[in-house]
Amino acid sequence: MTRHKRDQELKEELEAHLRMAAQDRMDRGESHADAQANANRELGNAALVAEVTRETWGWTGLHRFVHDLRYGARVLRRNPVFAAVAIFTLALGIGATTAIFSVVYGVLLQPLPYHNPEQIVRLRGVDAKGNQISFSDANFADVRAQSRSFEGLAEYHFGVDAVSGGSEPKRVPVAYVSHDFFSVFAIQPVIGRVFASEEEKPNGASAAVVSYSFWKDYLGGRTDLSSANLVVANQAVPVIGVLPIGFRYPEDTQLWLSSDVSIKPTSRTAGGWQVVGRIRDGFTLQQASAELSGVARRIYRQFSEDNYMHNAVAIPLRDALTEKARPALLILLEISGLLLLVACANVMNLLLAQATARENELAIRSALGASRKRLIRQFLAESLLLCFAGGLAGFGLAYAGLRLLLSLAPQNLPRLNDVAVNLPVLLFAMAVSLALAGALGVFTAYRAGSADLQASIAQGSSRLSGAHKNQRTGRTIMAAQVAVTLVLMVGAGLLGRSFLRVLSVDPGFRTEEVVTLDLSFSGRDGNGQRIARLQQILAQLHAIPGVAEAGTTSDLPLGTGGYSDGTFALVNPQQLSPQTLSLIQRYTNLKGELSKADYQALGDFFTPLFADKAHTGLGNYVAASPGYFRALNIPLKRGRFFTDADTVDAPHVAVISESLARQTWPDRDPLGQTIEYGNMDGDLRLLTVVGVAGDVRGTSLEKPPTPIVYVNCLQRPQKAGELSLVIRTAGDPSTTLSAARRVIRELDPSIPVKTNTFTRIFSASLASRRFNLMLVGAFAVTALLLAIAGIYGVLAYSVTRRTREFGVRIALGANSSSVLKLVLGQAVSTTLIGVLVGGIAAYALTRLMESMVFGVSTSDPLTYAGVAGLLIAVALLAAYVPARRATRIDPMIALRTE
Amino acid sequence: MAKSTRYQNRIELLQGTLDLLILETLRWGPQHGYGISQAIRINSGDVLDVETGSLYPALHRLHKQGWISSEWKTSDNNQRVKIYRLTAQGKKRLAAERSRWDRLLEAMAGILGPKAKENEA
Repeated sequence: MTRHKRDQELKEELEAHLRMAAQDRMDRGESHADAQANANRELGNAALVAEVTRETWGWTGLHRFVHDLRYGARVLRRNPVFAAVAIFTLALGIGATTAIFSVVYGVLLQPLPYHNPEQIVRLRGVDAKGNQISFSDANFADVRAQSRSFEGLAEYHFGVDAVSGGSEPKRVPVAYVSHDFFSVFAIQPVIGRVFASEEEKPNGASAAVVSYSFWKDYLGGRTDLSSANLVVANQAVPVIGVLPIGFRYPEDTQLWLSSDVSIKPTSRTAGGWQVVGRIRDGFTLQQASAELSGVARRIYRQFSEDNYMHNAVAIPLRDALTEKARPALLILLEISGLLLLVACANVMNLLLAQATARENELAIRSALGASRKRLIRQFLAESLLLCFAGGLAGFGLAYAGLRLLLSLAPQNLPRLNDVAVNLPVLLFAMAVSLALAGALGVFTAYRAGSADLQASIAQGSSRLSGAHKNQRTGRTIMAAQVAVTLVLMVGAGLLGRSFLRVLSVDPGFRTEEVVTLDLSFSGRDGNGQRIARLQQILAQLHAIPGVAEAGTTSDLPLGTGGYSDGTFALVNPQQLSPQTLSLIQRYTNLKGELSKADYQALGDFFTPLFADKAHTGLGNYVAASPGYFRALNIPLKRGRFFTDADTVDAPHVAVISESLARQTWPDRDPLGQTIEYGNMDGDLRLLTVVGVAGDVRGTSLEKPPTPIVYVNCLQRPQKAGELSLVIRTAGDPSTTLSAARRVIRELDPSIPVKTNTFTRIFSASLASRRFNLMLVGAFAVTALLLAIAGIYGVLAYSVTRRTREFGVRIALGANSSSVLKLVLGQAVSTTLIGVLVGGIAAYALTRLMESMVFGVSTSDPLTYAGVAGLLIAVALLAAYVPARRATRIDPMIALRTE
Repeated sequence: MAKSTRYQNRIELLQGTLDLLILETLRWGPQHGYGISQAIRINSGDVLDVETGSLYPALHRLHKQGWISSEWKTSDNNQRVKIYRLTAQGKKRLAAERSRWDRLLEAMAGILGPKAKENEA
């Protein structure tokens, strides 16, 4: 007989029973309606009777499971609000955790998409202070020759170059790589070839390998590369190969050129080379690191003078790539885990309240013979349903959340393209919530089946014994929830205060109404040519209506490029002998024609000067035009800015920043001092300090002001090959920008231009901080909402359960304010415990956030007090509604209902 | 109030006695669920009242164990009812249960006997 038919028959049997019972009663003289009602009452809950009867049939496992699920669904449908809140809560926790972990997995944990990626390492030099530094070619060559544990080692450097020859001139990320670079990554070109020996010898033919996307977009995706010729930094380069989709190392490189064709500096201090290597099969990372370190130390012992590299380390490439993002992401992961906990706590509380409300039903079921095992299974089925629904909704949330995250994420977050919703994590989050809900289900069912509860129900008296226990559990969960919420809110509060602090930092220049144009000039121009061009551009820009001020600079503050720092020597003109002076003059005018002996003489003069720590200083070299300071409103503190009188042939002058003045000449007037900074631009003429400018925050608002030496780019244009025009506009920035673009295009259509506004640059420099703040803030707000729901739920439920007690109290003369106090007091004491525990936890946990806060201590009392106050206030508010209801209890009704 | 005195006179069924009562009732002929409950109530002089919630699970359990069989019949007023009937196996079971019950009564009487006499005296 099918189950369905059996069900039908059972229903029919019970109906027949009812009918006969009613008929008997009518025979005894009851009215039709009375007979029906009484018969019904006598039978009791027909569905429950049928349910218990069905259980005696014996179930096959699957049948029973399906049945349990159905019953669970019925229960949930009967309490739609409970079900919706529970599912939504779970979805939030599961969704947030999954979204964040997906990012963490994609960025930090997922293996790199290369062959045996764990073998690929980055090598970094280590200086005397233990800082990581780049390699010099000489040190790299020695390391490569002397170590055996690497299958291949390659050095490279990268930057942005002007590229033309395809669709339009463009600034493109280019890497200059030594041979073995592609074999380290075990990358084969999909079209053509990589460099052959001809392209890897000094003064050999230059050739370019391009990325797949560059080939598609810029070269039109032609399979025949014979006609693909590019001009990279004003040098004609044929394209010889295309790499597979997705290979963009380092950074976002589109174009790889051989670094071996150019002559590499031989000095061991000439750093700037990055190194990657592949560990040989059979060697571990530890073995390779140990050997590398030994080799590097031996090299240092051998060439200790004029060498910064005391040691070297090998870092797995994945770790090296994600070094900066790691701490923030891990903290976010912990936070999302906390949110999952809060969500689970809420669901537990809901289930608990739900279970107490159902104690009657449970007791009857167990009295009718439902075993404890049976009740547990039933509860597990309900939990499973909730978690499944929550998980499904959570998946949707995770998917949407991830898309939102990716659109908001700062662009410098590495490996963003590899991020996708992570299925294992989703399942994990569901499993955690299921385990918690399940454990609670078992607990409740266990208690429902216990003798004392049955007894209490049999007595028909109040269900207080069980309810009391549940209330205690509920309050414990509530306190825990408050604690976790406090931790999250303190975290968000600290980040929020940090953000305000960062925003209130004076960058030292104005950012409003300033637009920028990034240009690349040909590397082949002579100095005179470039100065003439710059002057022409500046003059034409000034002529545009709406341009209030225009200038140029080699490095924009808060830009993405970063500054070039270097040591300068404090040189008194009297120290220069006539001989040296004439050498410098000849070097300046006719670079190539100096003899070996001349170079030797220059080296003999300058090397000891730079070696003398007492007479050197460290600064950041920036080439700027006179209008630059005015355009950015950088204040003049002393002396003067550059003027038109500072021409190429006039004495070269420098403006320095206040912090550089302080650090270099702490007790002397910097004006009139002379420095040698030719190591930065190849111009050995001394620079005379003529002015002191206000400090600017160059690299980040969160770092101290950058010590800067400004040179006049109309005197020294060498570093102005890549430059930014800075324009302060009086009118509409967009019309000004397009007019400025036109000026450049008319001058030379092959110059690639990228425009921006300073407001955007400024806000981009805050992107990571804003991103972190938003995420943590969103988590904290979510947790707070969940906590409010939790507190309200626990108290509303507790008031309902204690209706009789309050009724008695009121009947005995308690006035409404004392009842209000009673309920609120309960809420406050529970919240206070939570706040206390949470405060201690936050104090311990926020230390991990040290690197993320700025300008506040992680134990900032204001944040703690504010958050604690807010939480208590919110708890009171959430408690007020049920408390208010308690005062309105009518004792007569209350005493009758129980 | 008649209702409450009736309630006071009712005795909770001992665990396991319901099976015995059902089997005993069916010994007198096939009967439907309602009939069984009425028979138990009347024969016990309104002392035992079997709840529907206990009766039907018990009937289905006994059926599953093969001690009773069931069939659908059309009653006099043309309505379908499910009739239960004692099987041969059920008769054996009834005998076994009965002797167990008798032993229990004997044992209890042995313990309670003296006091009952005292009351009589």
